[in-house]
Amino acid sequence: MPEIKNYTLNFGPQHPAAHGVLRLVLEMDGEVIERADPHVGLLHRGTEKLAESKPYNQSIGYMDRLDYVSMMCNEHAYVMALEKMLGIEAPVRAQYIRVMFDEITRLLNHLMWLGTHALDVGAMTMFLYCFREREDLMDMYEAVSGARMHATYYRPGGVYRDLPDAMSQHKYSKYKSKKEIDKLNAARSGSLLDYIEDFTSRFPGYVDDYETLLTDNRIWKQRTVGIGVVSPERAQQLGFTGPMLRGSGIEWDLRKKQPYEVYDKMDFDIPVGVEGDCYDRYLVRIEEMRQSNRIIKQCIEWLRANPGPVMLEDHKLAPPKREEMKGDMESLIHHFKLFTEGYHLPAGEAYSAIEHPKGEFGIYLVSDGANKPYRLKIRAPGYAHLAAMHEMSEGHMLADVVAIIGTMDVVFGEIDR
Amino acid sequence: MMQGLKQFFKSLFMLELMKGLSITGKHLFARKFTLYYPEEKAPISPRFRGLHALRRYPNGEERCIACKLCEAVCPALAITIESEQRDDGTRRTTRYDIDLTKCIFCGFCEESCPVDSIVETGIYEYHGEEHGDLYMTKEKLLEIGDKYEKDIAAARAADASYR
Amino acid sequence: MHGVSDEMSDLLNIEINGVALQVKPGTMVIEAADDAGITIPRFCYHKKLSVAANCRMCLVEVEKAPKPLPACATPVTDGMKVLTKSPLALEAQKSVMEFLLINHPLDCPICDQGGECELQDVAMGYGQDMSRYHEKKRVVKDKFLGSLISTDMTRCIHCTRCVRFGQEVAGIMEMGAPGRGEHTEISTYMERAIGSEMSGNVIDLCPVGALTSKPYRYHGRPWENTTHDSIAPHDCVGSNVHVETRRNQVMRVLPKENEAINELWLSDRDRFSYMGLTSGDRLLQPMVKQDGEWKTTDWQNALNYAVEGLQRVKTASGAETIGALASPSSTTEELYLLQKVIRGMGSNNIDHRLQQLDFANQDTMPAYPCMNQSIADLDNINAALLVGSFTRKDQPIIAHRLRKANKSGAKVSVINSVDYDFNLDLSQSVITRPDDIASQLAGVVKALAEVTGKSIPDVLASSISSVTVTDEHKAIAADLNDAENATVLMGIHAMSNPNFSAISSLANAAAELSGATLGYLSAGANSAGAWLAGAVPHRAPGQQATDGKNAMQMITDDMKAFVLLNMEPEYDCANPNEALSAMSSADFVVCMTPFATSTMRKYADVMLPVAPFTETSGTYVNVEGQWQSFTGSVPPMGDVRPGWKVLRVIGNFLKLDGFDYLASEDVRDELDGLTRELETNSRSEITAVNLDSSKPELTRIGHVSLYAVDSLVRRSEPLQQTDDALAAMIAVNNVTAKKLGLDSGQMAVVMQSNTRVKLPIYIEDAIPDDCAFIPAGVTGSVELGLSYGPVEVAGG
Repeated sequence: MPEIKNYTLNFGPQHPAAHGVLRLVLEMDGEVIERADPHVGLLHRGTEKLAESKPYNQSIGYMDRLDYVSMMCNEHAYVMALEKMLGIEAPVRAQYIRVMFDEITRLLNHLMWLGTHALDVGAMTMFLYCFREREDLMDMYEAVSGARMHATYYRPGGVYRDLPDAMSQHKYSKYKSKKEIDKLNAARSGSLLDYIEDFTSRFPGYVDDYETLLTDNRIWKQRTVGIGVVSPERAQQLGFTGPMLRGSGIEWDLRKKQPYEVYDKMDFDIPVGVEGDCYDRYLVRIEEMRQSNRIIKQCIEWLRANPGPVMLEDHKLAPPKREEMKGDMESLIHHFKLFTEGYHLPAGEAYSAIEHPKGEFGIYLVSDGANKPYRLKIRAPGYAHLAAMHEMSEGHMLADVVAIIGTMDVVFGEIDR
Repeated sequence: MMQGLKQFFKSLFMLELMKGLSITGKHLFARKFTLYYPEEKAPISPRFRGLHALRRYPNGEERCIACKLCEAVCPALAITIESEQRDDGTRRTTRYDIDLTKCIFCGFCEESCPVDSIVETGIYEYHGEEHGDLYMTKEKLLEIGDKYEKDIAAARAADASYR
Repeated sequence: MHGVSDEMSDLLNIEINGVALQVKPGTMVIEAADDAGITIPRFCYHKKLSVAANCRMCLVEVEKAPKPLPACATPVTDGMKVLTKSPLALEAQKSVMEFLLINHPLDCPICDQGGECELQDVAMGYGQDMSRYHEKKRVVKDKFLGSLISTDMTRCIHCTRCVRFGQEVAGIMEMGAPGRGEHTEISTYMERAIGSEMSGNVIDLCPVGALTSKPYRYHGRPWENTTHDSIAPHDCVGSNVHVETRRNQVMRVLPKENEAINELWLSDRDRFSYMGLTSGDRLLQPMVKQDGEWKTTDWQNALNYAVEGLQRVKTASGAETIGALASPSSTTEELYLLQKVIRGMGSNNIDHRLQQLDFANQDTMPAYPCMNQSIADLDNINAALLVGSFTRKDQPIIAHRLRKANKSGAKVSVINSVDYDFNLDLSQSVITRPDDIASQLAGVVKALAEVTGKSIPDVLASSISSVTVTDEHKAIAADLNDAENATVLMGIHAMSNPNFSAISSLANAAAELSGATLGYLSAGANSAGAWLAGAVPHRAPGQQATDGKNAMQMITDDMKAFVLLNMEPEYDCANPNEALSAMSSADFVVCMTPFATSTMRKYADVMLPVAPFTETSGTYVNVEGQWQSFTGSVPPMGDVRPGWKVLRVIGNFLKLDGFDYLASEDVRDELDGLTRELETNSRSEITAVNLDSSKPELTRIGHVSLYAVDSLVRRSEPLQQTDDALAAMIAVNNVTAKKLGLDSGQMAVVMQSNTRVKLPIYIEDAIPDDCAFIPAGVTGSVELGLSYGPVEVAGG
C-alpha cells in the first residue's frame, strides 16, 4: 500500500486567484486543507511611515492606493480624521458629494469583487458584465477628479472641485455610425449628475441580470453554499466588519450605527445573512449594491436642488481659488504656504472610521502639532478578514480556498499598506 | 410534496441555467459597446491627469518661474528643479525634470502652479523603450506643451470656473 | 546673599495670557513673552537691535489701557495683565497685517524669501485670508548695495531693522529711510554699495524678501536645504555656522546662534566664502608630474609617488632638507598628522606662521596664541589697546564686541601702521611706520610706569630709555590704568611685523604694568590649533622643544623637498618671491590642496586633492582656546579626500607607527590627551628689545586684506567684487608722493627683491610718511618680496 504523504502547497503569490500578492501556505491532506497560513507583506509600501514625512494633504493620494478598488472611501476616512482634528466640517454639498461618491465607490468595489469572485469560481461572463459597469463608474470618477482610479479628490474641508456641468462626448468616427455614436452620447449630453442618474436607472436591471446568472445557478451554489461558514460570535471575535460580519447575521453598519456626513438623512436598508457562508455574503453584497444605488439617487436629487460651495472658505486650510490667488496678496501667501508647508494640526489624536465597501476602514492619527502626522495608523478591514483564513478553510477542499479568498474580498493594497 | 416536485423538474430541466443562458444569448445580439481602440478613443474629461507638459506664454516665453511649489508639494518627490537668475534678471529654471516612474499623477503640481506652467495633459498614450525614457526633462516637457497647447488651453478654459 | 534677595524683591509680577510671570523692571512686554515662550508677532522688533516700534505688528491688549499697545515698546509694570490673543489684540494684529500687505507685491513665487519669510508666516498666523484692497500698488526702485546683497525694495515693509543694524551693530551710517508715508524708502547714502564687513547680516534680519543674498539669488528654496552645523574657517573667532546643502552641494552658509561667540551675526567672509568651493580651480583627482607632464592618476599611485619622492630626498640629502608649510586655516587634525609625518621622517621643519617675519621670541611664546579671555568678556572691558590690528576687517566679530564695549564707554586706542577706518570712537590713534610700532609701544610702557609708579622690568628698562613719551602715550596709559577691565590685544599685523618679538615683549610689559589682560588675535582660523598640534618647528605637541626651521628659514635655506598643506606660497607667504623660487628649486614638492593653480603646476610634483572645510570633519581651536569640532557637510567632490585621511595613509605608506586612526575624532582625542594639561596663559617672558635697527628710506606695508587670507576666500567671486577686496596698488601719503614725485592715478614701478612690478598709485593720507602700502596676497604683488621691508618706487 502506498504511503500517503501530506503536501505543503504554496498558493500564490503569483496565482491569479490569489487576488494580488497573497502567498498562502497550505498544508494538505490529499485535497483537504489541514492548515492555511497566509503570508502578507509582499505589497508593503510603508504608507503609514511615508505619511509621517509629508504635509497632511500630500498623503491623500497615497490613501487611494491602499484599497485600490475603493479609492475615494480610503480618502474619506483620512480627510475625516483630519477634519476631526481641525474641528471643521465640510459644506453640506461637499458632504452629499462625498456620500454619493462613497456609494459609487462601493459599486466599483462590489462589481470588482463580484466579477473576480465569479471568475475564480468559473463564471467567465460575470467578469465581463461587471467590468462593463465599472467603466461607466470610472467615467464618473474621471469626470469629477481627472483620474479614473486614483482620484485625490477629497480634501479636508470638502472636495477639490464641484461636479462638472458637462460630460465629454464620444467623437464621430468611421468605425461607428452617427446613430450609434449619438446613442452612446445620449447619456453624456447633460451634466455629470444626469450621467450618474442615467446609470442608476439602468443599474438595478444589471443587478437582476447578475442574479439571474448566479443566485439560483446550481454550480454557483455548489461552490458557495456551506463554504467558509463563520458563526456570528466568531465573526465578532475575529474582528470582522462590513459584509463579512453582516453575512453572519449581525446587523452592523457604521453608516447607520455611527452616521457620518449625511448618511443619517439617507433612506436605505442593511442586508444581513443567515448562515454566514460564502453564498450569504454574496447575497449581502448584491443587496448592498441595490441599496447603494438608492443612496446615489437620493444624493442626486439633493445635489440638483442645492448648489453651493464644496470647499471650506477658510484659506488657512483650503487653498484659495486660482483667480484670487493670482490677484491678491493674502490669497497668494496662503496659496504659497499651503502648498509648501501645509497646515498644522493641533496636537492630539483622532480615530475616524467609515463603512468602507470591505468593512470598517479607520484612520488613527496622532499629531504633535506639526504639519505632518506624528503617527498614522491604518485600520484595514481586509487584514482582520484574512487572519481568519485558516479558520474558514480548514477541512475544506483545495478548490474552496479560491471561493473563500473571493468571498473575503481581499485587496493587498490595504492589507500590506 | 408539490414544492418538491416543482424543485425536481426545475432541477431536471436546468431552468436556472437556461435563464442564465438567455441573458448571455441576449447579449449576443445586443448593441456593441466596444470601442475600436486605438482608432476609436474613449472621451476624456477636461480634468484628466495624464502626461505632464510645460507651457509657454503666447509670446513664446516659458511660463515657469522656478518658484518650486510643484517640487515642494510633489508627494512622490518626482520633480527636480534647479534654478538661477537668467541674464535678463528673471528667475528661471536651468533644470526641470519629472521622473514619470515616480510620479503618482495626483495633480498637485498643476494645482500649485501660480502661472499655469506645469500641467497634466489629456495624453495617456506614451511609453519608454529604454531606461530613462520616462525621465522627462525641461526640453521634453516644453516640447509636449508646444505641441498640444491648443488642447491644453481648451481643457483649462473648460474647467476654469471650478478651480 | 544680599544681592540676590535685592534682585528678587526688584522683580515685577505680571500676567501674560493668564500666565503669572516675574520679570525685571525695564523689560519690554515682548521680551517677557519671548522668555515665557509666548509668541507675539513682530517685524521691526529684534532682540539685538534697539526698539523702533514702527511696524505695529506686536499690538497686544493691556488691561486698563484704552487702546492696544505695542509689546516691543511697552515696559512691564507691576500687576500688568497682558492679553496677546484677546479679540481686541487679534483684531489689531489682523488690521496691521492688512495694511502691511496693501503695498506688498505678489512676488512670493519669484521671491527668494518665500518659505522663510516672516511676512508669510505672520500673514498665515495672524492675517486675514482674503484681501480687500484692489487698488494699484506702489513700486519702489531697487537699490544697488554691492555684490553681496540683492534688493527688491518694493517688497520692503519699512521695519528699519537694516537701518538699525547699520547704525547700531555694523557701525555704518550708510542706510537710512528717507521719505515719509507712502514715499518712505530704505536707501543707502548716495546709492553706494555697503562697505561693511558684516553687511550680509541684513539678509538674515530682513523679515521680507527686500534684502536677499545675491550669490544665492534664485538658486534654491529653504525647504530643500539640509542644515549642517559647522565652524567658519577664516578667522580666529570660530563663528558657528549652518552650512545649508542640497543634493550634496553647498547652497549657502548662515550663522548659527551662539551667544558666547558670534551671537547671531556672521562676517561676510564667513558667509560668502563658500562661493569659492565650486571654483574652476578645484582639484578633483590626484595628479602626478611625470617627465614634465601632468597626469591624473588614482590615489594609490599618487600616494606611492609622493612617498617615494620624499624618501628619495631623505636618502639623498637627509631628512632635515624636507620641510612642510601649512595654512593656519587647516584643521587641527590635519596639522597634527602633518607634523607627525614630518617628525616621523626625522625632520622638524614644519610651520604654519607663513606671514611671520620675526621668530626671535618663539621659545618664550605661550602654548598657543590666545586672548586669555572669552570673546563674550570683551563686551565688558573698559579699555583696550589694539596693537597692529585692523580688528574690524580682520576679526569682524571681535570688532563687534569691542564696539559694544566702546558704546558703553570703553576707551579703545590703537597703534597701527595704517590709519584704518574703525567703526569705533577711538580714544587714541597712533599711526606710525611698521618698524616704529615697537617704539611707540615702548612709549606707552614708559608712560604706564610713570602713571602706576611701578618700575619697568630691568631687561627692558635700558633698551627703551631713549624713547620719548608723548601725550598720546600718556593718554593710552591712563586709559589702561584707570580701567577695571583692560586688555592689550596684538593683531595680525603685529604678529607679522618685523619687530614682533619686541612688540610682544613690550605688550607684555604694558599688560603687566597696567594689570590688563594680554591677548593675541592670530591669523587664520586655527593658529591656536596649529601651535597645539605642533605645527611649529620648535615645539612638538606636548611642548617638548625641538629644533627645526621656521617658515622664513625654509624658503630662504636650500630645502630639497616641501609638503604644502592647503596653501599657495605665492599668496600665503610673507616673501612670495623667495617662496616661489624655493619651491621651484626644490627637488620634490607635494601639494595637498583643494585648488590647483598654474603656478602650482610649475613647481609641484604631486598634487593631492584634499577637502575644504565643508567636506571633511575636523576641529578648529579658536582664540579663546575652545575646541570646536565639526563634521563634513557634503561628501567630497570628485576623488577628493579629507586631509587627515590622506596624511594617515601617507603615514602608513611611510611605515610610521601610530597611524591607525579610524576617525578624525581619534586624531583629535590623541592630541587632546597630549595637550590637556597645558598652561593657557599667554603672557610670555619679557625680554630685552632692540629699537635702534636701521630704518629703510621707504618701507613697504604689506597687509593681507581680509578677502585674501586663504585660498578659499580668494576664489569667492562675490567677495572679490567688494570694495574691501584690494587689488594690487601702491598707496602713499601726500608727503611721500611729493618726495618720490608720484601722482595719483599714475602707474609706478615697484622694485623689490630684484623684481619690478608696475602698479597704480593712490594717494591715501591714512598711510604714514615714508611708507608704501602694497597689499600682499593679491595678484600683482605676488612677485614682490617681503611684505614689510625696504622697497623702491619710481614714477612710471
